Amino acid sequence: MLETEYAVEDRYPSPSGSSPPPHAAPPARRFDYPGGARPLEGYTIKRGIGHGGFGEVYYAVADSGKDVALKLIRRNLEVELRGIAHCLNLKHPNLLAIYNVLQDAEGNYWVVMEYVAGTSLQDVLAEHPKGLPAAEALAWFHGLAAGVGHLHKHGIVHRDLKPGNIFIFCEEGVVKVGDYGLSKFIACSRRSGQTESVGTVHYMAPEIANGRYGKEIDIYALGVILYEMLTGRLPFEGETVGEILMKHLTASPDLSDVPAEFRGVVARALEKDPEKRFHSVGEMLAELPAPPAGGYVGPTRGIPMGQRAAPEQQHTDAYPEQTEFVAAQLAEPVDEEPIYRGLKRGFHRAKDFWHSREMTLPVKVLVATGLVVLVIFNAGFIVPAVIGLLMLYACYWVVRALVVQPKPAQSPTPPAGKPASPPQNVAPGERETVVHRYYSAGTRRRMLRAELSRRPMRQRVTELLGSLLASAAVAAIATVIAALLRSFQQDIPSLAQATWLYGMTVLASWSILIAGKFWEDREGDTAWRRFVMLVMGLGLGAVGFALMKFLLADLPFDPRGFRAMSGNLRLPWNVPSGFYDGGEPMLPALSAVFGTLFLILRWWRMCDPMRSARLTISSLIVVAIAAAGVATVWEFPWHWLILPAVATGFTVQMAAPWFTPRLKNESQPRWDE
Amino acid sequence: MPTLNRFHGERFLLWVDGVGGYLVCLQPSVTLGRAEPPAAADIPLIADLSIPHARITRDGEGYTIEAFRPTWVDGRLVERLTLLSDDCRLQLGGAVRLRFRRPHALSASARLEYLSGHRTVPTTDGAVLMADHLILGAKPRSHVVCREWAGEVILFQENGRLHCKTPGRFAVDGRPVRDRAPLDAASRVQGEDWSFTLEPLSC
Repeated sequence: MLETEYAVEDRYPSPSGSSPPPHAAPPARRFDYPGGARPLEGYTIKRGIGHGGFGEVYYAVADSGKDVALKLIRRNLEVELRGIAHCLNLKHPNLLAIYNVLQDAEGNYWVVMEYVAGTSLQDVLAEHPKGLPAAEALAWFHGLAAGVGHLHKHGIVHRDLKPGNIFIFCEEGVVKVGDYGLSKFIACSRRSGQTESVGTVHYMAPEIANGRYGKEIDIYALGVILYEMLTGRLPFEGETVGEILMKHLTASPDLSDVPAEFRGVVARALEKDPEKRFHSVGEMLAELPAPPAGGYVGPTRGIPMGQRAAPEQQHTDAYPEQTEFVAAQLAEPVDEEPIYRGLKRGFHRAKDFWHSREMTLPVKVLVATGLVVLVIFNAGFIVPAVIGLLMLYACYWVVRALVVQPKPAQSPTPPAGKPASPPQNVAPGERETVVHRYYSAGTRRRMLRAELSRRPMRQRVTELLGSLLASAAVAAIATVIAALLRSFQQDIPSLAQATWLYGMTVLASWSILIAGKFWEDREGDTAWRRFVMLVMGLGLGAVGFALMKFLLADLPFDPRGFRAMSGNLRLPWNVPSGFYDGGEPMLPALSAVFGTLFLILRWWRMCDPMRSARLTISSLIVVAIAAAGVATVWEFPWHWLILPAVATGFTVQMAAPWFTPRLKNESQPRWDE
Repeated sequence: MPTLNRFHGERFLLWVDGVGGYLVCLQPSVTLGRAEPPAAADIPLIADLSIPHARITRDGEGYTIEAFRPTWVDGRLVERLTLLSDDCRLQLGGAVRLRFRRPHALSASARLEYLSGHRTVPTTDGAVLMADHLILGAKPRSHVVCREWAGEVILFQENGRLHCKTPGRFAVDGRPVRDRAPLDAASRVQGEDWSFTLEPLSC
């Protein structure tokens, strides 16, 4: 249907002049003319279709019975009318026909257009999240490109090619390009005055940022559409308009999902430099395989009435600050781990099933209740199993991270024989004029912090989960090292003791990593952070006590040995009697030592992505000294605090993400722009 | 069964702004066939069909299809009568393909979707066989799915007259009303962010 396309246009800031403020609430979907109205002699309006950038679009029936779409032109009269006037007599099977432009009694202009009762390519793509079969994509693409080529041949740039503007008649195997009323002449497109943004950001060629509207922008949009038809995805996606624009400007598309025979064509159409793209649609088509003979007659594709793909509402925001683009750079997708991906897919499939029509509410309640009961009654088995699996996975993850070479950020995969586009060749002139200013370390730190805070939540959570998993593995190694160190003193910890040590290291690391994740994006108030850490330390002590009891681990405390070790150092106070029971530390003792230890050190600095090095030995020494001090003050067995403390310090630093100095430098020039 | 609705006739058109146009049939039994006035079928399609090609009848809660000419349901030729279930595919003659949906479990109303590019006269985007209610809303169980609507609007028959029901204020033919209001044969109903128009069809 037509509605999807016209609706999308509303999200663009309208051209200068009589436009509403860009941040005004979107206008209510009102149609001034009800069904049955006859504003234009000879046509009866039946219903509103949608709102275009220039006014409402209606479905109407001529007195003769012909179906038409009527587009009311309210704003930008001249621009629009001039565009349409030159398209009026274009005839091509792949172009939506414009029949006439008429003026009503009130002086408003109406464009009488072909009414299509087909589906838009957007709907078709929504039905094929994994992309269309190559033969089908090719058939549609050939038709669509023929329509665009016809426009170009007549000196018209479409400027707003997107799946919502492309209509497909599956049965007939016909595709039609619509809404080329926005088109401008190539000749006048480079004028500086008309640089209002048209088109959808996802299909916007990079040079539009410089106000260039040559026909190359249509080639670029065709490349994006071909990519999307073949893979079901857009080459450049992002959370904000700015992020998407930035990717169009700098990122290389990931062509790994594009079938090999199309890769070269897509890559060349998506070149950042318009000069390097195909110079005409014909040239592009010549490099593609021929369309299936006789066009494509697709399988029955029933689209439920009214269930058209909704316009992408999330892009309604106006163009954001330039600085947002930098965040996009950091938000590079990480190389996905196959087990994780498998689990994720399984989860999505389960979710789809859950929301499918087969699942009625009573069944859902039944299943959910059953699952909960099952989990509760088998918790004794499930919890250790899950923990064990997580640990195994963590080990595997670390090994994989070590063995599998991580891809360099923004790895371009240039097709064979085609030169890879340098990432910033969009505006060659501009790159050279960048002034590299010097920023003090403090300023850079602040800027990087700001950059960190702009990263999407999803990425931060992913990063945190990665750290947590990694810490579980690193803690295991740290525990083994600690146990070996102990064994040199003829005091090999029992299995229960080692497990306790491991558990405490993991839990302490997780507390610090989680808190640090929240705090990494600003310098923050130390007193408040210390307080939070204190609370976590107290809690950790309590958990430690519970773990000790659960594992039946004894942490023997021999006061005589302790006195002997501390030599003449006599504490001028007595530790409360409830702290120890027969040499065993009790809950208050554990809470006290961990609380103090978490209070006196600024642990979050160890997981700060901007720490000077990934792992500093001096910090471990500081941790050891602090732990020794705390243990002395509370008369806690030394090694049972120092070992977990140092292991935690080591684990946190190893597991927390750290910006390499190179990355820090890399991000600097961008701040200068 | 002459259960002629005295306000709306047996059939009317429902033009939903921003969504589509629907042919609503109130009678329990509708014929499908070629659009050829004056003796056209209830659901008249511009297609290579007989004038009455098949008949769909609502019988209590269920629907049956009766074939006068070759008709298939889910690929099986209809001998005489076949039950229709939600989401089944109909084929009439060589080319017309339709999908039968009964999206709401608590409503006997059903809808027919045109899969093969054939359209009715006048052009509509689907047909609704309306029993008790006709639900317009964003949920997939609605009879007319209006993806961008925030709320649900229900059309129902009472004493042979259509009523419109939706919480809150809306306007019928420019008259402000609240919660529910009766409709006329050619009413215009306008809500906060939705609107539709009824158009009577002369039989």
